[in-house]
Amino acid sequence: MKKEQAAPVPFRDFRRIRRPETGVGPSPAGATRHLVDWTVGKLLFCAALVAIAAVFFIIVFLLRDGYQIVLETGLWNFLTGAEWNPAGQHPAYGVLPLITGTLLVMALAMAIAVPLSIGSAVFIAEIAGSGTRTIIKPAIELLAGIPSVVYGFFGLILLTDWIRIAFDQPSGSSWLAGSILLAIMAIPTITSVAEDAISSVPREFREGSLALGATHWQTIKNIIVPGALSGISAAIILGMGRAIGETMAVLMVTGNAAVIPDPITNVFSPVRTLTGTLGIEMGEVAFGSTHYHALFGVAVVLLFITLVVNSTARIIVSRMQGTARSGPHRALTAAASRIPHAASAPFGRVVSPRTSQRCAFLLISLSVAIVLAALGVILAEIVVNGAGAISWEFLTGSPSDLGREGGIFPAIAGTLYLVGGALAIALPLGIATAVYLIEYTAETPLTRSIRAAVDLLNGTPSIVFGLFGFAFLVLFLGFGVSLIAGQITLGLMILPTIIRTTEEALRSIPGSFREGSYALGATKWQTISRVVLPPALPGILTGAILSIGRAAGETAPIMFTAAVFSSRFLPSSLTEPVMALPYHLFVLTTSIPGATPQSYGTAFVLLLLVLSIYLAAILVRRRYNHAKVM
Amino acid sequence: MDNSTILETRDLNLWYGQKHALIDITVRIPKKTVTALIGPSGCGKSTLLRCCNRMNDLIDSSRITGNVLFNGEDIYDGHADAYAVREKIGMVFQKPNPFPKSIYENVAYGPRIHGVREKGALDRIVEESLKGAALWDEVKDRLHEPALALSGGQQQRLCIARSLAVEPEVILMDEPCSALDPIATGKIEDLIIRLARNYTVVIVTHNMQQAARVSEYTGFMYMGELIEFDETSRIFEDPGEELTENYITGRFG
Repeated sequence: MKKEQAAPVPFRDFRRIRRPETGVGPSPAGATRHLVDWTVGKLLFCAALVAIAAVFFIIVFLLRDGYQIVLETGLWNFLTGAEWNPAGQHPAYGVLPLITGTLLVMALAMAIAVPLSIGSAVFIAEIAGSGTRTIIKPAIELLAGIPSVVYGFFGLILLTDWIRIAFDQPSGSSWLAGSILLAIMAIPTITSVAEDAISSVPREFREGSLALGATHWQTIKNIIVPGALSGISAAIILGMGRAIGETMAVLMVTGNAAVIPDPITNVFSPVRTLTGTLGIEMGEVAFGSTHYHALFGVAVVLLFITLVVNSTARIIVSRMQGTARSGPHRALTAAASRIPHAASAPFGRVVSPRTSQRCAFLLISLSVAIVLAALGVILAEIVVNGAGAISWEFLTGSPSDLGREGGIFPAIAGTLYLVGGALAIALPLGIATAVYLIEYTAETPLTRSIRAAVDLLNGTPSIVFGLFGFAFLVLFLGFGVSLIAGQITLGLMILPTIIRTTEEALRSIPGSFREGSYALGATKWQTISRVVLPPALPGILTGAILSIGRAAGETAPIMFTAAVFSSRFLPSSLTEPVMALPYHLFVLTTSIPGATPQSYGTAFVLLLLVLSIYLAAILVRRRYNHAKVM
Repeated sequence: MDNSTILETRDLNLWYGQKHALIDITVRIPKKTVTALIGPSGCGKSTLLRCCNRMNDLIDSSRITGNVLFNGEDIYDGHADAYAVREKIGMVFQKPNPFPKSIYENVAYGPRIHGVREKGALDRIVEESLKGAALWDEVKDRLHEPALALSGGQQQRLCIARSLAVEPEVILMDEPCSALDPIATGKIEDLIIRLARNYTVVIVTHNMQQAARVSEYTGFMYMGELIEFDETSRIFEDPGEELTENYITGRFG
């Protein structure tokens, strides 16, 4: 037998190097290890508890105060009342016009965005060469990085004027203006999710169809798009969620009259959305009044819509995962009969497959061109006009004459303070929570409900966080409009995102790494800190950076919690209010006549700040992807 | 228990939720030998292996009764330390699972978590472990390159080196060659035979020729039960049970 010939492996007695004891019983070294492990576990548990308590507290707080309006006016009156007029002689609190406004703006936005996005997604995934793809994909993603207040500014200064003149209307502030802006904002979301779905249709299906003599377009139409249909539906629903939750851009361009358009198809009518109502009225509401409760009612309606949108998207995605294999198979068999053989069907066909492919590709290219043109116009408008307004004094000075003179330094610094504080709160809590949920808990009904709550808040409109921060931190806890209130509000807003992205990053680490470590006698914490976290770090970092970008560009959550329009100085304590770039731009644009150059300058600086943060995220992701190939 | 037994189970039963995966397993694994566990898929051989270093603790739904003794100590006893158990009883998995670190860091990981910090000592452990796993000559010039750049067979030998570095007494191997080509498999088999001079190896395998080539003892499992345990030559040439014979001769499984 072979055994006799093999040389023995030298036995290395490392016990000289290491501790002498043998056996598996209790030992001092083992006790220390267990203590460290136990302590870390408890710390993570506490952090997770705080974060999860915060998540549930926000939801309960909103529901509790929202329920008051049901007691005061009745559920039916609140939901179907056709008049919203809280400031009138006989205040009316019917949200029907607001819900109608939200749905109308969203529906028209989707009518514009969906064809353009799907066209772009097909173009990127199927038609573009790899060189074109590497330019167009990030360009469309760039649209997602532009802060909503910058969209609003663009809408106010260009779009509404254009609508007023082009359609000969008394005012351009309208449903149409809101929908166009929202469409541009939803396009990157829909495009990237739809593109993922299209790209993940297995190549065999593509080849199977081409091998039957189908043209590229027939393959796209009959095999690829049907195969990716559930992913595309999820993309559309996520885009809808994005459109419903948007506050600032809509608020700035829709005219905000709480009326139902008459006739209902009049796209030039002003409308008011649920989010816009919160943004406009929150500042002037008396604590505990019926109006105050009505605003919470509005927030609960938004929360409910978010829940519906989230659950629908989740159901579609989970069904997609179940049928990902069988779906395209079925499509392929069905398509085989649908693809007419070139030689056998010379009659009864009006257009040849080649011609219809040419037409389809032309339309698809056109949709990409429209999207890129929108990006180009917005960027050019702001960069060209904004760069002219930038000067050393503008960047380092304080504002004077209501922002018409001087600079925006306090706003730049204020934004950095707000974002830094938010990150300091959300990052440790969010990461600890995700680590606890993924590494320490099994999948139980409890963790599922925690995840559902986190998801709910993840999709919740930022203005709802603003309302929570205002009602709880500013009014109830008596923080006043202050830096700390803004930091906590922003922190709570990005907490769900950080939890979810960290969870995803941890989940992507194969279980075999953990097993390998445990099999060497590593403790849980040694395994997590040395084997699981290092490779997950780029993913966690990307999530964190994207959150920073989002926090820096948001106006709605800080509008009533932290921001003031004019301040000559930086805050000297956490209880003072601050200036912030997005809020400054909002007020300059909507309330200060004659400050257009300063508006452009502020928009430019804000854009630059947010886009460079996103750029950092893209670079981290790219480096990570390179490292993964190794 | 006699001196030559290192690992022993007594009336070991294990459930995954409702599923009774191991039924009354009593077996003695002799010291410094290679013991093979064979049997059709789902017969419980991997589960039995994972009981021996408490890797089943990581599966929440698992529940066990009976004893597993390592050098006479019950590793499931309330005082036993699961981490110390796994330090003494290492494991190599079906699919090579090196960490996404360098070759050096993969091997040094174990000693580091057990408190070795001195660079010289770590260097020595890394070198000797890699030599022990017959990988040193192939990687000595690129110790700081990523382990994932190695071939599958090299990765598996790295995983063996990694487990040698924490100086275990027993190495459990769960179908260590099933993801490898025949040449890499041959190298691992040679290595297993050499390892048995100083370590106890328990190997789960689907491949009966492999069991015959490398092991001195073989256990045949079927539907959660240990049907037969004996010297490998007996199992293959003159099995005591008809079930074993049917399996060996390829009538099922």
